[in-house]
Formats: sequence, structure tokens, C-alpha cells
Amino acid sequence: MAEHKLLLAHTDDPQHKTVAGYVANGGYRAWRKVLTSMTRDEVITEVKASGLRGRGGAGFPTGLKWSFVPKDSPKPRYLVCNADESEPGTCKDRVLLECDPQAVIEGMAIAAFSIGSHLAFNYIRGEFDYPIEVFEKAVEDAYDNGHLGKNIYGTGYDLDVVTHTGGGAYICGEETALLQSLAGHRGMSQMKPPFPAVEGLYGCPTVVNNVETLAVVPHLINNGGEWYKTFGTEKSAGTKLFSLTGHINSPGNYELEMGTSLRYLIEEMGGGIPEGRKIKAIIPGGASCPFMTADQIDTPLDYEAIADAGSMLGSGACIILDERTDIVWATYKLIKFFKHESCGKCTPCREGTKWLTQLVERILNGEGEESDIDKIDNICHNILGRTICPLGDAAAMPVISVIQRFRQDFVDRIKAKDVLPMEQFSFN
Amino acid sequence: MSDTATKDQKTTPAVEMVSLTIDGRPISVKKGATVLDACRQENIPVPTFCWHPKLRSVGACRMCYVEIEKFPKLMVSCATEAMNDMVVLTDSEKCREGRKAIIEFILLDHPLDCPTCDKGGECDLQDNAFEYGLSDDTRFAFRKARKIRDKNSTFDDLQIGPEMVRNQNRCILCYKCVRANEEAFGEYDIGAYQRGHNTEIDAAPGGQVASLYSGNLVEICPVGALTSSDWRYKIRVWNTQTVPSIDPYHADGANLTLWKDATKVHRATSRMNDDTDDGWISDIARYGYQIATSERRIKAPLVNKNGAMVEVSWEEALGVISRRFKEVKESQGAPCLAGVVSPNLDLKTLHAFNKLFRGALGSNNVDYRSDYSNLPTDADSTYGFMASRSFSIDAVASSDVIFVVGSNLIREHPNVHLKTRRAIFEKLSWLYTANPIVTKSADCSTDEMIYNLGTDEVFLNGVTLSLIQQGLADKEVDTGKIETLLIPNTLEKCAETCGVSVERINECAKRLANSKSPTLIAGELVSNSIARENIAKSFYNVALLLGIVQGKRGQAAVLAKAANSKGAEALGLFPEISATQTATLKNQFQSFPELAGANWDAMLSGAQGEDIKAMLIFGANPVQTGADYNHIKKSLESLDFLVVADLKETPTTALADVVLPLSSFAEYDGSFTNLEGRTQDFCAGMKRIGASLPGYEALNRIAQSLGFSLYADLSSLQDEVSELLDSYNAPERKHFLMESHFQAPPAPQENSLPLFAGDALHHFGHWTEMCHSLLEFNPEAALEISADLASRLDIQTGDSVRVLCDRGDKGNKGEKLILKALVSDILEGDTLLASHNFAAKPVNCFTSRDSRVSYVRIEKIEKQ
Repeated sequence: MAEHKLLLAHTDDPQHKTVAGYVANGGYRAWRKVLTSMTRDEVITEVKASGLRGRGGAGFPTGLKWSFVPKDSPKPRYLVCNADESEPGTCKDRVLLECDPQAVIEGMAIAAFSIGSHLAFNYIRGEFDYPIEVFEKAVEDAYDNGHLGKNIYGTGYDLDVVTHTGGGAYICGEETALLQSLAGHRGMSQMKPPFPAVEGLYGCPTVVNNVETLAVVPHLINNGGEWYKTFGTEKSAGTKLFSLTGHINSPGNYELEMGTSLRYLIEEMGGGIPEGRKIKAIIPGGASCPFMTADQIDTPLDYEAIADAGSMLGSGACIILDERTDIVWATYKLIKFFKHESCGKCTPCREGTKWLTQLVERILNGEGEESDIDKIDNICHNILGRTICPLGDAAAMPVISVIQRFRQDFVDRIKAKDVLPMEQFSFN
Repeated sequence: MSDTATKDQKTTPAVEMVSLTIDGRPISVKKGATVLDACRQENIPVPTFCWHPKLRSVGACRMCYVEIEKFPKLMVSCATEAMNDMVVLTDSEKCREGRKAIIEFILLDHPLDCPTCDKGGECDLQDNAFEYGLSDDTRFAFRKARKIRDKNSTFDDLQIGPEMVRNQNRCILCYKCVRANEEAFGEYDIGAYQRGHNTEIDAAPGGQVASLYSGNLVEICPVGALTSSDWRYKIRVWNTQTVPSIDPYHADGANLTLWKDATKVHRATSRMNDDTDDGWISDIARYGYQIATSERRIKAPLVNKNGAMVEVSWEEALGVISRRFKEVKESQGAPCLAGVVSPNLDLKTLHAFNKLFRGALGSNNVDYRSDYSNLPTDADSTYGFMASRSFSIDAVASSDVIFVVGSNLIREHPNVHLKTRRAIFEKLSWLYTANPIVTKSADCSTDEMIYNLGTDEVFLNGVTLSLIQQGLADKEVDTGKIETLLIPNTLEKCAETCGVSVERINECAKRLANSKSPTLIAGELVSNSIARENIAKSFYNVALLLGIVQGKRGQAAVLAKAANSKGAEALGLFPEISATQTATLKNQFQSFPELAGANWDAMLSGAQGEDIKAMLIFGANPVQTGADYNHIKKSLESLDFLVVADLKETPTTALADVVLPLSSFAEYDGSFTNLEGRTQDFCAGMKRIGASLPGYEALNRIAQSLGFSLYADLSSLQDEVSELLDSYNAPERKHFLMESHFQAPPAPQENSLPLFAGDALHHFGHWTEMCHSLLEFNPEAALEISADLASRLDIQTGDSVRVLCDRGDKGNKGEKLILKALVSDILEGDTLLASHNFAAKPVNCFTSRDSRVSYVRIEKIEKQ
């Protein structure tokens, strides 16, 4: 298991973002094949066979998700690409939107076809100025070359792609909140059921897929689902993008086969830790994942192994914290983020994240008490599993893991009663 | 028609049941019910904040946690569907712990200002914290965050609507107000702003929370975050008692609770009745109780002495009345006496009124329809037939197609309006509205068809012809001679005349024909039209072709307007009553006049001639709210003797020789019959104001002064009312297509604009002018004008506008009024709406009894 460039194969080619360049590299073969020779069920079967799982964080089987859309519904159906990438540490979708937008469009088109949708939306994070510009140009290009629009390839199939930019809310990366926002409402997550596949955008069946997931789809059509399974592990097939950040010599986006070890990512791809320092903690899948410790560095990067190690693969945003890091401060930064981004709909998340922030801030200011540690843990457990959407869990889980694995850091910090100047904590 | 296919699935009644166990009790509920529904069905207490029985569950507050076997997490019972074999625990250790955590979270920043909070004593947070909250010290060691937007003030309260005060510190962000406003009312004037912990509930930027249903938002607030200006700091809730009451204005019959102490009524709230109101009441019903406590009430009888109205005792006033009535009766005969009664008075009063005139005085000249003109003169008018059809308000909510013609529904029937919204929201029903003006319903209707002014029947004939042409008409109806019955007689010509395209009429007709349970509603724009019989016939034809009037499906009716219009109809408060009604009345009254009576139209012309000499007007105010101010005023001035009984002084009492003070609905026990024919009782909430009397008592005293008695005791009067209501049968008829000929109204003059006089959004009739809360919403007579017209004439809200009567034929020419402009966000085109609720501005001087459309010219008055 090692690096394998499937999605990042052409990201260095500036021509690749145009239709001409993309087609020269074999692009839009899959879309043409789907429209001219495949049925909706065949597409879904192929995707199911590949074992592709959602790359946004939850890892839900993509083919299965598509098959949930009711076949007999008289309502229109929608395909939504979730490009509201805002998980701290994650920057993998951005590179696809910027360098391989045609692949995203092709993936969206195939996914839309598979659920019988004639209107696909790309909900892009509002702060992504440049990716939005690139993507919109790419969509125009695709229309001009007949890959989108009316009667595509003369098959009678119509598909429109609409770009929608977000308003700057992390919560809108959660699918129900995204759909609310897309429909013009306040971006707040909704109770499930009903699931979007049955009642989503404007109350109609909707599938929401991550950018990376959709970018994989053309490869599955071109090479077959079984081919994709030859990469990765049995349950976690294929390759995955990892955004490596933090205390690392070469941060960046790397594409690895699933099941490659964390050590390979850090040492071979990232070139290790600056000045040979030791690792203190690793956040393997973005800010909402429990912290892992240095001794877990040989864990394979796949959904199951990371879960067994007590964390989550999430979006694949691997943040490395070296031995100098003040864990209390890192916890504060995380919880403050979630407090700021809580949509405010359900009580535990709205009130709990605020209280946690106050408590951790107090410790950071040297005013904490030892009982605060258990209080923090208890508040986290009053949030965990008690909220509408995973944002509450995302806020609670890393804090719980920190208290569990780095409790002594908190105790020391409280006992020392010192206030460290903030610049001490900046990365490198 | 794939969309109708799904509708069919939805309307198929599925009475599938689900069995589950809650706290060891086996429970069976309808499939689709939530666990919370199941608990409530069995009276198992589950605490809630954000849940409301008439709103979609969102699971925001997380207070209603229950433990369900095989589910690893605590589940919110309000959003978890009850499933077979579920084992639910509502009071387990885990549940209590979860709820305690929620209370702890909520109380983090909630000020404990209960002693000065108006919600104290009826606050969900107080109750739930008492039951499920912390038992010892708080774990929260930080200062509570205070939110004060107005930095110059030390107070937390912010007035966000005419009657609404917000205190964001107390808000627990259940979002119930925002959700109810959108889901149930279709209003967007309150919203959540900012995010997360900083979320604020506020009026839309630059606006106010001022919809017709704004009071409900205060009522459903689980804490003291939204309070009502009217109720704040008046009285603690535990020092009040409640009595049941009924909306005394609208015919919907919304149920109210009056909150009173020993002195007076302090507020009105809803009293949920799914049949009529779903627990939502209009602000008019909510603040309308203020007529009981208004300073403007007449407190003693008044007699005109040498041109001045002087307060006198009842005895003196009755002495004048009996002397003058006897004089007129003896010198001119009983048929020279006439009586007009308001349909907003209770059943006993209406019946006593009938008995006084028909039984005691011997005159058939009684009417309750003084707001209308061109009344039908024969007992079997099609208008009367369509107005007496049975109608269920709740059935509107389950109708799959709703068709509203000639009605500004929200202003006429606030609760029927909400039921239509519910049908659309819950059942995805189709709403077709057809009006000469754009109404609030436009925002949720499938197609808002605006037909040309004065072409109501042409539009309806278009639907009739479309049903026949498309082969969708009821097969048992003979449609053979349709071309000879209608003018114009082709769909194309109808479409051209009424201005609604053939395609749209066809689409609407098709949807109606495919409906399983259609509801057809006609409203005040039909009732008020001088062509109403013709329109009623066209409306009847549509209902006939759909099989509705034959009882095959659905419902169709011209809706009654006032709280007791239907009661007045059933009690026979008009001249052309049916033979059955006559028989029952004859039996009850012993003596009964033989001579046919004069209706309101005839009374007016009779007064100007020699036929009517004395009149008793009871609770009505035709000079202000009837059509054609000058005609009515002149008629009443021609009378020898006029007695007016009312709550307040009005333009009608100004013409009276004797004015009698009436008590309001909050001061006596009575009942109203709503538009469905549902008779509902209301109770006294306070002592009568001054020397005022309930209508029936005042009438009995008049009768006594004339040597009669209307009742020995109230129960005998009530028995007579019940007998009449029980024996009332809506007219029946043989069914065949009716003739409906359209005559084009004369073209308006250049630069003239059509004007409708009617109720302002927050007023009803002439009494609500006494309600200070309603004046906060609509303080004075306004001229509602579309944004487009306003910009063309450079008029803004608040500008003074001179309105000039444009009719060349009659005496009203040259009438003018200065009204305040109100630029409407709903109206379109050139049509103007003027509110007739204010005595100071008799906008009915512009309306006419003999033309279909009233035209005026307007000019902006430049500020000096």
C-alpha cells in the first residue's frame, strides 16, 4: 500500500481544467458511455460493486445512497455536490475544484443520471473565491462543448448544473443544513428521517455527495467497479486524498491507497516532523475526530482501522501536533471553532459548546480548577449523541479523547496556574 | 396526471394501528403517530419546549427525551415515530438525567427574573425546571450573558411589533414563534438572526411583527421572551380566573378564553378547538375583548333633547320609546315600524328582536343585512341557497382542491384562511383563487387568477363551460342547452371578457373535476356585489357540474361573514323567511303579522317615502358600514323616530332620537352560530359597564314598556332559540343549470380608479375602533394602494391622499375624504382598498347601491 495517483493524476496539468485538456486525458468517456449505453440501474450497480464510500466524512456507501431515491416518485429529483469544504485541516476538495473541475462535473453528471435528475447543484463554500471562478468557467466550457445542457450527445437527456455559493457557515457542510441553505432558508440541520433521498431539496428526493466522491465516479465507469476494488482494503476500497497539515515538513494533499499506514503518510509523504521532534498527537480526519497518540502511528488509514483505534477517518484531514504543543490550547482552538459554528438549533450543542469554551478558556488563563476536567468531560457526554446533527458529536468527541488521553496535561496546566503568551503556540 | 395519482394514495384513509409499550403499559396508536403523541394519548407526562401540536416537530429543545429499548441513544419523542413492539421508558434514570442536562444548559444564560417576568406562573421553563431541573447549586460559574441591542438603554425589552415585546435574554431558542409564523400563518415578519449561541429572535430588518396572527406568537412562547404589550404588568396570572368565550366578530367561531379578575377582563387567548381554529386566533379576536373595557363605551341611555344628547335613566328613555312607537303604530300602522339588528349580537338577542317586531309590534320589517344592498326578495334565491349550504371549516384542511372566488379570505375568515394554508402545507393540496384583487392567499395558491372588475360571473361561467367542454361535468346534469343559458356562451369569449386565459381556466376546471373532496368558497366580493344573484347562479352551476350541491362530494358555499350571521338566518331575522320558519315563529309568538315585510333596501326607500316612519337599529351601524353613505343617512334622517342601541357612539347614533347602551359579549352569557351552523356558548367575564344591558334584556324592557313581555325567564327564551335552530332546514331545490347573463358595467372615466370599501387587516366592523391594541396596528382609516400605483403617483405610506368620488349620476358626486396612504405589499394594479372601520372617515360615501364598481380619483396632498 502506497501512494497511488488517481484523482491527482493530472492536477499539475494547467490544460486539464478545460474540456479540451480533460478530453485529451480521457475525460468525458464515462459520461458518454453512461448516456449512450447504460441504464440507471447499471450505473448504480457498478458504483455499488466498487465499494466506493462517501469521502465527505461519514463513509456511507455511495451506490447504496443513490439506490435509496424512490424510482416511482413523480417529483423532480436533485443531485447536489457538497463543496462546502470547511472542516479545519481539510483542503482536498479545493484542489479538485481548482485543478480537475471537469472530473467533478462529469461525476455530478453521472450521479445525476443514476437518480434521474435533470438539475444538479454544486454548493461551494463561499470563501472559495478562486475555486468558484474556476468551476464556473469549467461549467460554461462543458455547456459549450455539449457535455451539459439540452439533449446531451443527442441522447435526449437534459442536465443543468448550477453553482451556488455558501454564506460562510460550517454547518452547511452537513447535508440537511446544506439543503436548507440551498433552498433559501436558514442553514440549520434537520431531523432525519425523512432522509434527503426521500425528502430533500424543496421536499423532493435529493442525493448529496462530496466532491471527492463524485470525482471518483468517472473512473468507476471507465474501468469498472471491480477494478476500483483492487485498491485499498476489503471494506475500504480505492484511494483517498489526505490533507496533511500541522507540524510536518511537507504539508499538502496526498493520494494514498486506503489501508496505507499513518506512518507512511507522515514520514514518506510528509517528510517527518521538523527538526526531528516527536509527535504528541495526531488528528486523523479533521477537527471533529478524536485525537490519536504517537504510539498509534502504525494504524492503517482505512475506515475500520482508524475506528478501531478510537478515532475516525473523517475527511482525511490529518493534523500533526508535535511535542511542543500545548494540548489545552489546541483543545481551546477546536472547541471555540465549534462554538462559533454551532447553528444554534438544538440546546446541547448551542449551550454546551459555549460552556465548554468558557471552561477551557478559564484553564488556559490559569484560573481553572481540577474539578473542571471532570465537568468538561461530563458536559461533553451531555452533548454526545444528544443533538440533531453530528456537529454536537464533532465538538464533544475530540474533547473527550483529549481528556482521556492527555488528562495529565490539563492537571499540570491547572496546577501551574500560568498564562502562556499566545505566540508560543503558533505552528512552526 | 401523475400528481393526482400520488394524491390518491395520500387521501386513502389508512387506519393502520401500531402497538407499543410505554412504561410497561401496552398502547395502540395510529400509524404515523410519534412516541410523544402516544404518551399524550395516555396522559403520560413528557416535558416539551419546542413542540406544538399543530407544527411540524423539529427536535430542537431536546427536552422530550425518552429511552427506547434497542436504541443506544436517548430519543426525542416528538420526532420519533411510534413503531410496533417498541419498548419506551419515559421516566428512567437515563431519561431524567438527559432532561436535567437540558434544563442545566437552558438555564446557563437564562435570567432568573421570574419575580418580574410576565410569564411567571404560566412558564414552561418554570414548570419543567421544577420537575426535572437541578436540585442543588449550579455548576455554571460564569456571568450570564446579557443581550441588549439598544446600547443606550439599560433595559432588555425591545418592542418588535405593535403589541409584542421581546426579551432576548429569556429566549431559549425553541424557534416556535418563527416556525408557527411560517408554517401556520405564511408570514415572514419574525425571524432568527445571527448564529449559534448569539442567535436572536427579531422582526425582519426594518419591519415589525404585525401580521394578523402576531398575538399567537406571544401565546406559544414557552418562556417570557415574547410578551404582549397589552398584558404586561397588568396582573399576575395566578390572580385571574378563566371563562370560555367565542370570537364575537368573524363567522369562523374561533374559541377564546377570557382571563378575568373581580373587576374586568384582562386578556383573551385561544382555546384550541380543532373543528374551527386549531388553537390559532386572529389578533382581532385576541384584542377584540377590549370593546368591553373601552373608555368610549356608552354608559347610560341618551335622549335627544332640543338637539343635544342627554344622559337619562332607562325609565325615561323607555318612556320616550314607548310613547313614540305607540304614536307611530296607532297613527300610521305597524308596518311603518322597522328593525335592523347586527349579526354580531348573540342568538337570544336576535330572537328577542324578532319577537319584539313580529310578535309584539306586529311588523315583518326586520333585517340583519344592513351592510349589504340589493338583497334578494324571494325566499328561494340562488344566493340564499348557496349561502345556506353546509360547510365544515375543518374539512377545508383535508380538501385536496380548494377554490376561492371573490373573497379576500384572510380578512373575512382568518381561520378558514389558516385551514387552507394547512391543507397546502400538510396535504400539498391545490388552491385556486379567483378575485378581482390580489389577496394574501396569492402567496400559496397554485394559480391566483385575477379577473377583470365586475366580471365575477363571467369567470365562473368560463369554468362551467370548460368543465362541459372537457367532458368533466357530472353526467347526470343536463348540459344540453348551455349556450342559451349563459352570456357570453363560449369559453373563449368568457376568457376574453374576464381576462383569465382559457388555459388557466381549463387547468383549474380539470383539477376541480379530478378532486375527491373539493372545497368551493365564495366570499364578500360576491355578497357585496349588486350582481350577486347572477354570480351566485354561476357559482351554483360550477358546484352543480362538480356534483357538490347534489351531495356527491366536497362542499361549496357562500360564507357568512359575521359571528352570528348564520344564527340570524336560522332564526329568521329577515322578511322573506321560509314557510317552516314562519310556522315555528307563529307558534312561538302567538300573533304574527300577515303583511310581507320590507327588507333593508325597502326600509331605506320606504323611509325616504311614506312607508317607514320609525326604526330601531340594534348594534348595527349602517351609516358607517353600509353601501352609499348619503343614501342611508338621508333615509334615516327622514324617519320620524329613530332608536339606536350600540356599544359606542357612531354616525348612526348621531342621527338617533334615543340611544341605548348595549353590553359587549364579555359582559353576558350567550351563544353564536358560526358559518358552519355550529352554535357555541360564551360566558360573561365581567360586570356590565355602566347602565348597559345585554341586547335581550334591553329588548324585553322595550317590550315591557309597550305592554308586552318577550320572556318570563331566560331559559324559556333559550328554549325558543333551540327550537328554531333545531327545526331549521337549509332550502332544498331541484337541480338544473341556471341562467346567468352578463351585462358589461359602464366603462370608467379616464384617470379614475376602482375602490373597495371594507375591513382593514386588523379591524372588523365598527366596534374594533374601541380596541387600543388594534389601533396600534391600524390607527386610522387607510387607503391601501399597490406599490406600483404608489410609485407612479409618488405616494408613500403615511402620505395624505385626497379621494374624490367619481360617480356622475348620483348625489355622492363631489364627496371627498382625506385618507392616509398605506402602500400594500400584496395589492397589485390600480384597485384601491379603503377601510370602513373608522367613524371619522365614512369611506362608504364612495360606494354605490346601483353600480358594480365604485370609482374614485385620488391626489396626493403635498406637505406644506
